[in-house]
Amino acid sequence: MNIAILSGKGGTGKTLLSVNLSYLAENSVYVDCDVEEPNGLLYYKIDNLEQESVLTKIPVINNDLCDGCRICSDFCKFNALAFIKGKIKVYNDLCHSCGGCKLVCPQKAITEIDNAIGVIKSGQYEDTFVLSGELKVGEESGVPIINRLLEESSKLNKTVFIDSPPGNGCTVMESISNADYCILVAEPSIFGLHNLNMVYNLATVFKKKIGLVINKTTGDPIINNYAKEKGLKILTEIPMDFELGKLNSEGEIVSKIPKYKELFFNILETVFKEVN
Amino acid sequence: MIIALPTKTSGEKSFISDHFGRTNYFYIYNTETKLGEAYINANKDGQGGVGVKSSEFIINKNVEVLITPSVGEKSLRVLNEGEVKIYKSIEKIVKVNIESFLNGELKELF
Amino acid sequence: MKQLLILSGKGGTGKTTIASSFIELSKARAFADCDVEAPNLHLLKHEGTKISKPYFGMKKAIIDQEKCIQCGLCKESCNFNSISFDGTYTIDEFGCEGCSVCEFVCPVNAIKMVDNENGEMTVYKGNSVFSTAELKMGSGNSGKLVIAVKNQLEENLTNQELTIIDGSPGIGCPVIASLSGVDMVLIVAEPSLSGISDMERIIKTARIFQVKIAVCVNKFDTNIALTRKIENYILPLDIDYVGKIPYDKLVTEFTNRGKMFVDEDLEVSKAVKSIYKQTIKILNS
Repeated sequence: MNIAILSGKGGTGKTLLSVNLSYLAENSVYVDCDVEEPNGLLYYKIDNLEQESVLTKIPVINNDLCDGCRICSDFCKFNALAFIKGKIKVYNDLCHSCGGCKLVCPQKAITEIDNAIGVIKSGQYEDTFVLSGELKVGEESGVPIINRLLEESSKLNKTVFIDSPPGNGCTVMESISNADYCILVAEPSIFGLHNLNMVYNLATVFKKKIGLVINKTTGDPIINNYAKEKGLKILTEIPMDFELGKLNSEGEIVSKIPKYKELFFNILETVFKEVN
Repeated sequence: MIIALPTKTSGEKSFISDHFGRTNYFYIYNTETKLGEAYINANKDGQGGVGVKSSEFIINKNVEVLITPSVGEKSLRVLNEGEVKIYKSIEKIVKVNIESFLNGELKELF
Repeated sequence: MKQLLILSGKGGTGKTTIASSFIELSKARAFADCDVEAPNLHLLKHEGTKISKPYFGMKKAIIDQEKCIQCGLCKESCNFNSISFDGTYTIDEFGCEGCSVCEFVCPVNAIKMVDNENGEMTVYKGNSVFSTAELKMGSGNSGKLVIAVKNQLEENLTNQELTIIDGSPGIGCPVIASLSGVDMVLIVAEPSLSGISDMERIIKTARIFQVKIAVCVNKFDTNIALTRKIENYILPLDIDYVGKIPYDKLVTEFTNRGKMFVDEDLEVSKAVKSIYKQTIKILNS
């Protein structure tokens, strides 16, 4: 079973929920798909993480064969190739690995080699298997890393909790494409509402089962009203709690503490019921 | 010496553009012949890596000095490979910047 | 004209709240929201006439079914697995990255790259000019749109003294695009481990641009120890520390009612005003 946790923006409590739900669930996997700003390992502190590179194909130019016709650099839609001082240069971090340059080269001067765009880290934390991806600074697209993370997690045949990237871009779509259930997290503010509406639309395009968690509630019914209007199930409301916020900001898994355990456990039970 | 500047409109009285990669024009000036020419930036609407293309363009015009408000990391790499020196613009107008540069009043960006 | 950009690295630290307060305090008549994936500033600040137009970001492939001979070469060549076969060959609009390899390999020219509308640009014109935009879902890579937003602002300006720009989260392409041409960056940090690591990354990025950098800490009292850690991190750097803001739930309450909290007599308003004064001083120095 795959459960994706998403929000329109960072800082709403996506990682808080993903970490604590996966910690409490039996036989679970936590997957950090926020590969640009991965924070899950700040909570799941694991000593001997296994690390593996994520590879994509990038072109290399054989300068003995290249006659400088520039057909490849004209073809490249990502501007990853440039003709500088008489030679074609490849800018790896702009390359999307489409293979176009190799196809169009009339001299057959282009071959492809592996290029590491980031890493996948993994390890066991008590009952939870933890997977985290990290995109190299300066690389353009984290999609290949997310695909690898999801591929790895689906092999395990466990309950997978997917900590999605913020926003509604292509990386978010990738991360929820195989989800059985989406948990949307929102804060009760007009910003929160706007961003919730954005991810709600995304999840409905993909025809996903959806539940909503309202985080840092202060009594303002702005999100509750929206949920009512859309017929959206509210899984729980987490009140604004300074102690919880402080522990979380320091990288503690708060559901280890009895008084917070129940809160997350209830969400988990409801979600399981909803999926089945 | 050949100098390039990203500009909003064409000509030496144009304003400097803030965005090297997505500038409307390049103004290219030859200090020996004292002639300048404006070129349309054909790559300004590309979806990514436009800085690379802008850098490639001026390098292939044998530019030695670029005067610009700023450049991104990717452009910087290409410009270094093309041995282009980068100076930070101070005024808005192209002509004034060229004069300031020739008087040694501009600072090198990197 | 001076441009002030407000950034955070991590989302949700209060970037838009600070930006809107600064706009209120300065009576700035020119502002822009460069957070094109999740724009929020328009929820707080807009007046005048709204003018919207579609934004065409990148081209995507379409297949002319009349010409297609169903050879399958396009599907085989697509490295993004974005062509599927279900009686006919079709392109997955969200997966297509616009590389045009399929167009190249198609033996009967049945594939064309066409402009794809992947967002909307809006400008509000009245006593002030406000430029903003929003990307459609699934549209990545927004650096180009950020520049378009800034250009849209400039096109509509007469001579303004101060421009305030609400930046994008993260450190990627949109942030770099929002940085170009600004005079100063104010980073809104948050006292959490993730907030600090993101702040460090954004400082590195901003330094490449050689602009003035200042940092303030929002919701500092939610973790005093980590606030101190931020202060100690900044101290040895040539970066200005312009102050810290306490947490106050009234900020959200005022915001939700469409009111500006800086106009109220609150501790948090005083803190923001003091940060504003210092920031403007540095900007004009």
